[in-house]
Amino acid sequence: MRIEKCWFCSSTVYPGHGIQFVRNDAKIFRFCRSKCHKNFKMKRNPRKVKWTKAYRRLHGKDMTQDSTFEFERKRNRPERYDRNLAENTLKAIKKIDKIRSDRASDHIKNRLKTGKVQRQKEARKQLEQGIHLVKAPLALAQDSSLHLPKIKVNVSQAQTEGNQPMEE
Amino acid sequence: MIQPQTHLNVADNSEARELMCIRVIGASNRRYAHIGDVIVAVIKEAVPNTPLERSEVIRAVIVRTCKELKRDNGMIIRYDDNAAVVIDQEGNPKGTRIFGAIARELRKLNFTKIVSLAPEEALGRKRGVKRKERDGVSLAFGIAGPQQEARTMGY
Repeated sequence: MRIEKCWFCSSTVYPGHGIQFVRNDAKIFRFCRSKCHKNFKMKRNPRKVKWTKAYRRLHGKDMTQDSTFEFERKRNRPERYDRNLAENTLKAIKKIDKIRSDRASDHIKNRLKTGKVQRQKEARKQLEQGIHLVKAPLALAQDSSLHLPKIKVNVSQAQTEGNQPMEE
Repeated sequence: MIQPQTHLNVADNSEARELMCIRVIGASNRRYAHIGDVIVAVIKEAVPNTPLERSEVIRAVIVRTCKELKRDNGMIIRYDDNAAVVIDQEGNPKGTRIFGAIARELRKLNFTKIVSLAPEEALGRKRGVKRKERDGVSLAFGIAGPQQEARTMGY
């Protein structure tokens, strides 16, 4: 019994699931479900289909290189049963899995960080410019408790004497 | 699901190229033939100048079907074409070489000669490992089939 990988989407195929297709040159394609099988029959390239692991790895959406991947290699030689070995392997699998998924989610978080910062900047700008939609300017001026959050603005120009009264 | 009028490729080096099924051997109005069933076929296309001729009626055993083959362990296998191997009345293949992938089911149905006619490199068997039950596809080309169970209970 062996847990295979789907040829199309790279998810795990457990025994009893999916279909294996044997091509006439004896290459075997394993699919996890009919979705992948049908896409294959349509001759779609998994590297171009957005939801597959192949696409995500190729376009840098998911982590590609990590030392934790080394542990999950295809081993063709069956090991002689050793209870200690089996126990340690099971413990190791859990730990390695946790480490790998943590690193993968960190990778995604880092990737999404720049977008987040950008969105926050834009939100601030929108608030500053559109505050009149939220509170009337007169009310804002009269009630001193209401004020905009302090925003740090980097001024690159040198301040000249003539400009100073205008800047507020 | 091979039925009369189905055209099949020939998977060995007997001189037929294409067969058309005439009858499924088994019960009197048996509808379909699957992998491992014997059919009566007529040769639609043959290699010229050979003993086997076009429109000769022969028997063949089906080795590959486009219809999925279901196994007891839940494995489902589908091939790319429908193919058969020409046999004689006793079940011995007429050709001397087999081409393409062959399913394990043939071994159990006493077509051992066909299963064993794979070239040397192609048995997909690991050296030094006894296999109690080889679950997989034995191949006539040099590519190993799905590997055997990782034996955790010792050899």
